[in-house]
Amino acid sequence: MAKVLGEKKGAAHGHEGEHPPAPMVDEVSDFEVLEMAVRELAIEKGLFTAEDHRRWTEYVHSLGPLPAARLVAKAWLDPEFKKLAVNDGVKASLKVGVDWIKSPPTQFGTPSDYCNLRVLEDTPKLKHVVVCTLCSCYPRPILGQSPEWYRTPAYRRRLVRWPRQVLSEFGLQLPPDVEIRVADSNQKTRYMVLPVRPAGTEGWTEEQLAEIVTRDCMIGVAVPKPGVTSNVKMPVHRAVHPLQHGHS
Amino acid sequence: MSKVHHDRTHHAKKATGIGDPQCFKGEAGKPKFKAGDSVRIRDLPDFFYTRCQTYTRGVVGTVTLAVYESPAAEDEAWDNTDKPEWFYSVKFRQKDLWPDYPSAYPNDTVETEFSERWLEKA
Amino acid sequence: MKSPTRSEVMRHLDLVGQLQPAYHQPAQAPYPDDIDHEHFRALLRSPHDIGGEADISIRWEEKQEEQWEANTFATCECLAWRGVWSAEERRRRQNSDVGQTQYLGLPYYGRWLLSAARILVDKQYVTLTELINKVDEVRKRYEQSPSR
Repeated sequence: MAKVLGEKKGAAHGHEGEHPPAPMVDEVSDFEVLEMAVRELAIEKGLFTAEDHRRWTEYVHSLGPLPAARLVAKAWLDPEFKKLAVNDGVKASLKVGVDWIKSPPTQFGTPSDYCNLRVLEDTPKLKHVVVCTLCSCYPRPILGQSPEWYRTPAYRRRLVRWPRQVLSEFGLQLPPDVEIRVADSNQKTRYMVLPVRPAGTEGWTEEQLAEIVTRDCMIGVAVPKPGVTSNVKMPVHRAVHPLQHGHS
Repeated sequence: MSKVHHDRTHHAKKATGIGDPQCFKGEAGKPKFKAGDSVRIRDLPDFFYTRCQTYTRGVVGTVTLAVYESPAAEDEAWDNTDKPEWFYSVKFRQKDLWPDYPSAYPNDTVETEFSERWLEKA
Repeated sequence: MKSPTRSEVMRHLDLVGQLQPAYHQPAQAPYPDDIDHEHFRALLRSPHDIGGEADISIRWEEKQEEQWEANTFATCECLAWRGVWSAEERRRRQNSDVGQTQYLGLPYYGRWLLSAARILVDKQYVTLTELINKVDEVRKRYEQSPSR
């Protein structure tokens, strides 16, 4: 547990027998103190502005999996768009309002996510699943922030070598003759999975289709199913001081 | 003693409106490999930093795509961006990566990217 | 609702997994001729290069983001936006330079944050003295003066 300021032990700071101070109004961790210090210094030294930081925070807050879900739905409905998505993910992203180069405030892409989306097309005989074994690279501009489990050493160690075991923990099992292809995003390419359109969705609108394409489907640990519109159910580790606008 | 001057503008100058890795297009010359080529991952020394995963070293795979040009991560990590290389996506059979990969799943694969220096013809 | 007994049982199973026999070989400051190629490679490994290593099944979880974590992410991207570093320089520092113990021992965003602090000092935008004084100053804002 992070050290919390304000819990001063009386013996360390004053005479023996002195009463410890009254409980803190607001307790902050070492991480929170350092974060403030770094940001304030960077701004003081002119490395970036407070406005830059606010704009970036706002940009990140605007990101989520909906554009990617719409890209999948469009690809399901239009074979020509599917071809474009597979051959030029960056160009296809424009059709769902994501400009990998110019949507971010930099106008040269996000520093960490670059501008080379590859859309991986599943077939009945080929299932993709994505990991970054070296860190946690993820296609944020079209899919939003990565989930905690994706960043864990356990996922990064295991998926590339024991994919079927890991997938079964997410509730996904595939026939033995299906090719499970693990895409390890170790350089500048960012991947999203274009899953197979499930049966039972004939005649659906783009919106109805997008609703069943969850973030987990586009990482590849789940497949779309009629009636399933949320990610794999799992516990949520709560924050001590969560974001102010109530987003988790 | 003078302080080192860091040019904070060079990437923005090069990539604004263009994107990264798009901004390195044309700088790596002719690609050595193409889709379909059989390549082996070289086990070069990798102290301090690498983005060529140890689990791939010495394995033979198939190039699926020449993806883009960029400085190798090993150079970009120290802001040495003068010598971009071609990057390739390479696919491996799981049975070639892991001696204990279950034979029940003969078709499983891994696909990942390498800068040209890490590949040799196989 | 889990019974107290079941909670204790699950904690026990986790804890006894940590009781392992170990043969401790003195290994600090070895002679060069004690280090063979395998151990040289292991000692110089990049901590982030973990694909294919054995690991246990863990409970997959989501995590609610802390405000400081979101701020840290924005700080790191702004530093790259304004050319203080590239994302790849950040990754090298954050995922390799931190060393094996901090790599596995610190929280994910703890490494992002430490690396942001470190780049400011390494590229001489601040002195370590300035950084320490700033941390001390921020800390003091949150310390209540003891009642006497």
